[in-house]
Amino acid sequence: MTETTVNETASAGASGEKTVAERPTNVLIVGVGGQGVIMVSKVLATLAQAAGNQVKQSEVHGMAKRGGAVFSHVRFGRKVFSPTIPRGEADVLLALEWAEGLRWLPYLNRARGVFIADTQRIVPPFACRNRADGAPLGYSRETPKDILAKVRTGYALNATGIAESLGNRRAANTVLLGVLSTALDFAEKDWLKVIESFVPPKTVEVNRAAFLKGREWAERHADVGLDEDVDFSLPSPPAVEPKRPQVFIERAWCKSCDICVKMCPERCLELDEKNIARMKAPERCTGCRLCEYLCPDFAIRVLRLPAGDSQQEVRP
Amino acid sequence: MNERADPQKLPRDGSFEIRDWLRLELMPHFMCPGCGHGIALRALLWALDELGIDKDKLAVVSGIGCSGRTAAYIDANTFHVTHGRPLAFATGLKLARPDLTVIVISGDGDSLAIGGNHFLHACRRNLDMTLILLNNEIYGMTGGQVSPTTTADRFTTTTPFGNNEPVFDACEVAKAAGATFVGREATLQTPNLKDLLKHAVAHHGFSMVEVISDCTEIYGRKNDLGNSPEMILAQKSGMRPEAYRNTVDQPFRPNPFRTGVLHRGDRQEYLDAYRARVQAVQAAKGGGK
Amino acid sequence: MNTQTPVNLQGNHACALGAIAAGCTFYAGYPITPSSEIAEHMARELPKVGGVFIQMEDEIASMAAVTGASMGGARAMTATSGPGFSLKQENLGLAAMMEAPCVVVDVMRGGPSTGMPTRPSQSDVMQARWGSHGDRPVIAIAPASVPEVYAETIRAFSLAERLRTPVILLVDEVIGHLVETVTLHEPDEAEKGARKWAEGSREGFLPYAITEDGIPPMPRPGDGYRAHATGLTHGENGFPTQKPEEVARVMNRLLGKIEKHRDIIDKWECVDCEDAEILVVAIGISARAARAAVREARSRGIPAGLFRPITLWPFPEEAAKRAAANARTVIVPEMNAGQLVLEVERVLGCGRNVRPVNRIDGEPVAPAEILQAIEEAKA
Repeated sequence: MTETTVNETASAGASGEKTVAERPTNVLIVGVGGQGVIMVSKVLATLAQAAGNQVKQSEVHGMAKRGGAVFSHVRFGRKVFSPTIPRGEADVLLALEWAEGLRWLPYLNRARGVFIADTQRIVPPFACRNRADGAPLGYSRETPKDILAKVRTGYALNATGIAESLGNRRAANTVLLGVLSTALDFAEKDWLKVIESFVPPKTVEVNRAAFLKGREWAERHADVGLDEDVDFSLPSPPAVEPKRPQVFIERAWCKSCDICVKMCPERCLELDEKNIARMKAPERCTGCRLCEYLCPDFAIRVLRLPAGDSQQEVRP
Repeated sequence: MNERADPQKLPRDGSFEIRDWLRLELMPHFMCPGCGHGIALRALLWALDELGIDKDKLAVVSGIGCSGRTAAYIDANTFHVTHGRPLAFATGLKLARPDLTVIVISGDGDSLAIGGNHFLHACRRNLDMTLILLNNEIYGMTGGQVSPTTTADRFTTTTPFGNNEPVFDACEVAKAAGATFVGREATLQTPNLKDLLKHAVAHHGFSMVEVISDCTEIYGRKNDLGNSPEMILAQKSGMRPEAYRNTVDQPFRPNPFRTGVLHRGDRQEYLDAYRARVQAVQAAKGGGK
Repeated sequence: MNTQTPVNLQGNHACALGAIAAGCTFYAGYPITPSSEIAEHMARELPKVGGVFIQMEDEIASMAAVTGASMGGARAMTATSGPGFSLKQENLGLAAMMEAPCVVVDVMRGGPSTGMPTRPSQSDVMQARWGSHGDRPVIAIAPASVPEVYAETIRAFSLAERLRTPVILLVDEVIGHLVETVTLHEPDEAEKGARKWAEGSREGFLPYAITEDGIPPMPRPGDGYRAHATGLTHGENGFPTQKPEEVARVMNRLLGKIEKHRDIIDKWECVDCEDAEILVVAIGISARAARAAVREARSRGIPAGLFRPITLWPFPEEAAKRAAANARTVIVPEMNAGQLVLEVERVLGCGRNVRPVNRIDGEPVAPAEILQAIEEAKA
C-alpha cells in the first residue's frame, strides 16, 4: 500500500521537464470521505482562477459517508490541457489522512514537490482483514520522519489536533490550507477571502483562525517540517491471550449442505469422500466461527482454546 | 444419546454451546440439508442463552410445517399445536402463566395464511410474547406449494406457470396491526439475528421477528436459485427484490429488504392493562359495568 | 352470593357460576347466540377470583387459547353454539390429543349452517361425538334443568381435570335460556376434582406414560420436566412416532382411559323403568317433555318409563340395557332429524321396536307428541 517508488519518480522527473512559466502548477489533494477534500480543492481552484489562471479540477468522490478514499486534482496555469496530474508531476501533495498521503506519494515530483500531510490516521476496514488473534494492523508503519526523508520539502503536522484545540476538529482541512498557502504564490488576504466565502457563516471565525494557525505552523517548522514531540506510535492490537482455534465436526449430524465449505473466509474446510465436512487446513483457521453460525445442523463447534491446551474431541 | 454428543464430556471455551439447549436424543434434526430454519433455531437459542432465560420457565409454541417441527428440538416446555394456531394457543398459555417466557415459532404459511387472523390480533393485543416468523416463501412440509410470501413469478408445485399473487410483507402487516416490536433479519447474519431476537424477547409486549430463511431442497431447486451456499449468500445481494419492491431504498443503494428493528411502539402490555383496569374498577365500584 | 339461598338463574348464568365454583380461572370465547351470556358472566366474574377472561378473534382461537391455558395449568373453559362448535372441532381434537383438560359448552341451536340462531335444537348430538376428525376420547354431558346445568358444569370440570380430557357440556337453547330456581352449593375439593400432576424425578420422565389408570401425570410448565406436547401421534415420551406397535399402545391407552373410568363418567336418570314396556330415551328439554308424557301414560295405565342419559357420551349402555329390560318399544324424541336414535338402535335395537319422534322446526317436542307415540306403541 505504501510503495514509495523513488526510482520511478526520479525517471518521471527526468523526462519531459517543462519550464516553470509554461508548466501548470499541479496540486493533488487526497483524503477520505467527510474530511473536506472537495472544499480544499474548490478553495484552491477559485483562488487560482481569481488570480487569472486557467484552472482544471477533477475529483473522485461519492464514498463520502462511508470513509472511502477521495481525491481531487487541481491544475492551474496560463494554459492547462489535461484535467489530471500525471504520475510524478504533482507540485504539491496535500493529504488529509496520513496513509492516503503515502498511497499517492508516487504522484509527487521528488525534485520540486511539496508534501503536506495531516498525521491524523483513519484506519480503513481493509487494514483489519487478518482475523487471527493478535494479528498486526495492515495500516502503514512508516513514521513522518521516514517519509520526510524521502521528499524535498515536507510537512507532517497534527492538523486535526490543531483544529481541535481551536474548538472544531472539522477545520483540520483549513489548517492544511494554511500550510499549503506557504507553498503557493497567493496573498494571505486572498486566501482568507475565498475561504470565508466557502465555509458556513457560523464557522468563519474558527476557519480563519485555523488557516492562520496552519500558515504560522508551516513558517515556524519550515526547516524540519514536523513537530518533534508528536507521538506517532501506532496503537498495538489489544493484548490477548493467544488462542488456538479448533474446529470439531459432529460427523453424524452433518448433512453435506456445503455451506461451511463455501462460506469459510479462509477456505479451511472441504467435503470428504463421504461428503461430510472436514478440516482441510486447520492452520489457516482464525476461529471466526462463521461455519459454526451457519451450520444448519449444529454439526460444527469452534473452540478457541488456550494455545497450550490440547483438548481432544471425545470419541467413543 | 451417543457419548460424543454428551455436552458434559465436550471441551468448552465458554462460548455459547447449543447442545445445552437441545434435546440431544432427537438429533440430528429432520430438516433438509442447508435449511435455514436450523440457523434461525441456533440464533434463537443463542439469544435465550445470552438473556439468561431459565429453560424450565421457557415455553415454545409452534404450529404446523417445517417451522413447526423446530420447537421439538428445544429442551424446554414445548407445544406443537394445530396449523396456524400457535399464537392463539400461546395467548391462552401466557394469560394462564404470565411467569413463563413464551416464544412462538411459526412460518409464512402458518402465520400469514391459515393463521393470518391470529397474527393480526396478536399484534393488536400486545400480550408479552415473541413471534419468530420463519419465512422461507414456501410450504415445504407439504411438498412446495405457493405461500403468501412466495416471490412473484416463482415456480412452485401449485404455481406451475409462475406465481401471479403479490406477497405479504409480514413486517408491514405487523406494524399496521399494532405490534410494538417489529424486526427482520436474514439467517446469513446470524449474530445480528441473535441480537435482534434478544431485543425482541426482552421487549415487554408483543414482538415479531421475521427471519429470512431458505428452503433449498424444494424451493431453491425448482427455481434454479443455486445450492445452499448460493442461496444463503444471495440473501445479502438481494435475492428477493421483487418481494420487497415497495420498501424504501436507502440513500446509497437500493435495499431489497430492510433488516433490523423496523418498528417500536410503546403501548401498555395486554395483561398489565387488563389487571390495572380490573383493579381500578373494583377499587371504585366493586364490580364491572 | 349466599350459597344456601335459592336464587333464580338463567341456564347460561348458572353455567358460568358453576364454572367459577369449580375453580375455573380461564375463559376464552367468541360471541355467538345463544351462548353469549356465559361469556358475559365470565367476563365479569373471572377477574374477581383472579382469573382471566379474553374474547378471542374467532372460535378457533378461543379453543386454541383454552387448550394453551390448560396446558399451562389453568382450569379452562369456553362456550359456543353449533356453528362455533364446528370451528372448535379442530382444537378440540388437539386438546384430546394433548390431553388438555377443558370444558366446552355447546348451547345447541338450529342448523345446518347459520340455521336458526335463536331457536332451540338438539342437533349437535353426533357432532359432539364425531365432530373432530380421527378417533378421540369423548365425554359429553347433557343437563336438562338449570340446577343440573350448575351441578353438571362442576362435574364436567371434575371429569376433565381428573381424566385429562376435554368435556363437552351439551345444552339445548331452551335450557340455556330457561330461568329456574337454583341452590348454589359450594363444591368441596373432592367434588372439584384435582389434576394428576407429575411429581418426582425428571430423569426419564414420560409425559404420556402408560399408567395403571390410563391417565399420565401431567408435567406443569416450570416444574422442570420440560416436556413436549404435540398434536401428532406421539409415543410415551411425547415425541412423534409412527411405529405401529407404539401407536397402537398409546392410542389404546388414550381411548381406553374413558372406558376405564365409566364408574365416574356414567350418569343417567331412570323414571319408572323397572316394569316399563315402553321406554322413552331422551336428553335435555326433550327429556322433560318425555317425563310429562310418561307420567300421563302411567296415569292412563300404560307401563311407560323414561331413561335419561345425563352423560350422553360415552352412552351409558349397560344402564340403558337394564332400564330397557322389559321394554318392547323404545321411543326416542329429539329435536333433530334422528341422531340419538341411532345410538339407541345400536344399544337397544335388538328385539325391540325403536321409534323416533323428531322435530326440526325450531320447536321443542311437546309431551302430547311423545304421549301419542307411546299410545301408538301400546296399540
